[in-house]
Amino acid sequence: MAPPQALVQERLCGTCGNAITAQAWSADGEFLAMATAGGELLLLDFRAGCEELLRGERDSSLDVLGFSPDGRFLMAAGQGGELLLWEMGGTGVRPMAFDPVPLQAGWLDAAAWRPQGALLALGAGRRVRLWDGDSRALREESQELERTVLSVAWSRDGQRLAAACHGEVLLWRPDDPGDLPQRCATGSAGVALGWSDQGTLLASGQLDGSLMLWPDGAAGRGWQFSGFPGKVRSLAWCDQPGRLAPLLAVASTDIAVIWSQQDRGTKGWKPEPLVLHEGRVNAVAFAPGSSLLASASSDGTVALWDGRGRLQQLLEGDGQAITCLSWRPDGRHLVAGGDQGQWWLWPVTLPPSARSRPQPSRPPRSGGFAP
Amino acid sequence: MRSAPSTAPDRDRLPVTVLTGYLGSGKTTLLNRILTHEHGLKVAVIVNEFGEVGIDNQLVIDADEEIFEMNNGCICCTVRGDLIRIIGNLMKRRDRFDHLVIETTGLADPAPVIQTFFVDEDLRDQLRLDAVVTLVDLRHVEQHWDSEEVQEQLAFADVLLLNKTDLVEAEALEAIRQRTRAINPLARVIPTCRADAAMDQILGVGAFELERALAIDPEFLASDHDHEHDDAVSSVAFIEARPMSYKKLGEWIDRLVSERGPDLFRMKGIIQFDGESHRYVFQSVHMLIDSARDRPWRADETPRTDFVIIGRDLDEPALRAAFEACVA
Repeated sequence: MAPPQALVQERLCGTCGNAITAQAWSADGEFLAMATAGGELLLLDFRAGCEELLRGERDSSLDVLGFSPDGRFLMAAGQGGELLLWEMGGTGVRPMAFDPVPLQAGWLDAAAWRPQGALLALGAGRRVRLWDGDSRALREESQELERTVLSVAWSRDGQRLAAACHGEVLLWRPDDPGDLPQRCATGSAGVALGWSDQGTLLASGQLDGSLMLWPDGAAGRGWQFSGFPGKVRSLAWCDQPGRLAPLLAVASTDIAVIWSQQDRGTKGWKPEPLVLHEGRVNAVAFAPGSSLLASASSDGTVALWDGRGRLQQLLEGDGQAITCLSWRPDGRHLVAGGDQGQWWLWPVTLPPSARSRPQPSRPPRSGGFAP
Repeated sequence: MRSAPSTAPDRDRLPVTVLTGYLGSGKTTLLNRILTHEHGLKVAVIVNEFGEVGIDNQLVIDADEEIFEMNNGCICCTVRGDLIRIIGNLMKRRDRFDHLVIETTGLADPAPVIQTFFVDEDLRDQLRLDAVVTLVDLRHVEQHWDSEEVQEQLAFADVLLLNKTDLVEAEALEAIRQRTRAINPLARVIPTCRADAAMDQILGVGAFELERALAIDPEFLASDHDHEHDDAVSSVAFIEARPMSYKKLGEWIDRLVSERGPDLFRMKGIIQFDGESHRYVFQSVHMLIDSARDRPWRADETPRTDFVIIGRDLDEPALRAAFEACVA
């Protein structure tokens, strides 16, 4: 068989002063933000072709960040225990920083914007707080869990919020104050939560090396798959519908696994292990609009796989561990960050096997970002 | 349960010192000494009781103690979830510090802290336990002696600081020393005043390195224990000149930890196996076992087996009989 055509042929890259901990794209793909373990927050503005350090290096890590889906706000949080927010002024305009919002709950590392609008769910100790972009303030009410919140995730329709701690996953409807939260018991701590795009399946990667899955918005009886070689630290749903459930990718130690649902029985889920990496797989992510999967590893590589688990291409940085990655919403550009502060942006051509629907793509301009 | 050994070489892993001690024993004093001492190390500290450490420009992180039961609540499988999360985040800042100190609350059981570093895969690969340092308040320890926490803190210690020597007479110090020895003959005992131990006795101890696994006080081995203290936690030590059977001893230890794991705080041994030119080293924390073939016996050594068990409600004659049945 002829080798598949290379998906990636060029790249942009740059450097921050510290390990990159998180990366996020704005919904329109025109902004890319990166946070570091030294507290830097770098914003790339592709339309204007410029980059701006929104926050300089300091002795306090940032670990989570994201743009509100309506494009109005950028959030970041971490070791300082404060919620940092910026109002985006559009391309070429420096975002305006809000006063930091203190949470008094120690290190913050779990947050997620609702897929619509500008409502942020934030794990703060044993509570989930909501910051509302309309009132520009934290809502008074909060959801309390038994233990420290380790992960939060919104259903695709934005109706339901899930939060994981040791021992349980809690689900509730934040817009309905009378709604009693639903509790799903888990044997251990959920460290990675994710709803499928159709919003009916909730997955939780567990510290005890298992993966839990609940169907029908967690109303149905769940599955638990155990026997992973280590904690299930990252998971991602494919946004393309499958015959039954969409594909689910998870990472545990140095392997990634693609799960597909073959039938509705208790043994209907089949794993396809992706064995290649020689170091911990830190993140997995499907390209939006396709079944192309990227896995980032401490071995310094990013691997691209098709939905059946066949390796498409191996991308190499410069040897430093790859800590995080994020697809541009167009599904044609992939950014990854390293533990020595290097970042790489790769344009990706979808292989025929991963293509599903044509999508126009505007490439980010290479303006000021060449190394 | 055998803990998988870390694949990373020791020198690449960050050393961790666990600081325990009952309320008022001087942990904060010691912590402030560590943070201000000119030892050339950049030290990061995780505290569970915030507000007492007030040092600028130091990496001091507050964490709420949170116990995770990993396996049906078995105490051997409990770990500290807060440490997994916080240290996981902290290790991304690895280049900012050289040593990590964890200060536990006065009422903390040290076992989950120790087990965290053997059970969690990320911590196991990135860090190594250097030592458990326990402070004892010489003035007040008698009042708390029956507390489970105090006995466990003594049992798990690698370094025991008998603190506040200025507040007790020599005889009282000696009596407490004897009593702590009976519980834990492995720990290095250092009398201190205002926690003034030398830094190299606290940081960089390497107590969990297998090759340094056994440092039993010779006095303890020589003395005939008269069980004058009726403490629930005690220790037994065996010395055996005859070589041991690999199969028998391995089976006995496996059986022992599966039956008595929750009561066995720490075990350490240097073992002479039948027909084996190298010595074997062994240690355990509850049910977590770590062992390795060490170096050859040196010409100036008389090969023998030294074996120490620290635990609760130990039946010495029964344990001794079972141990001796493992002679080859």
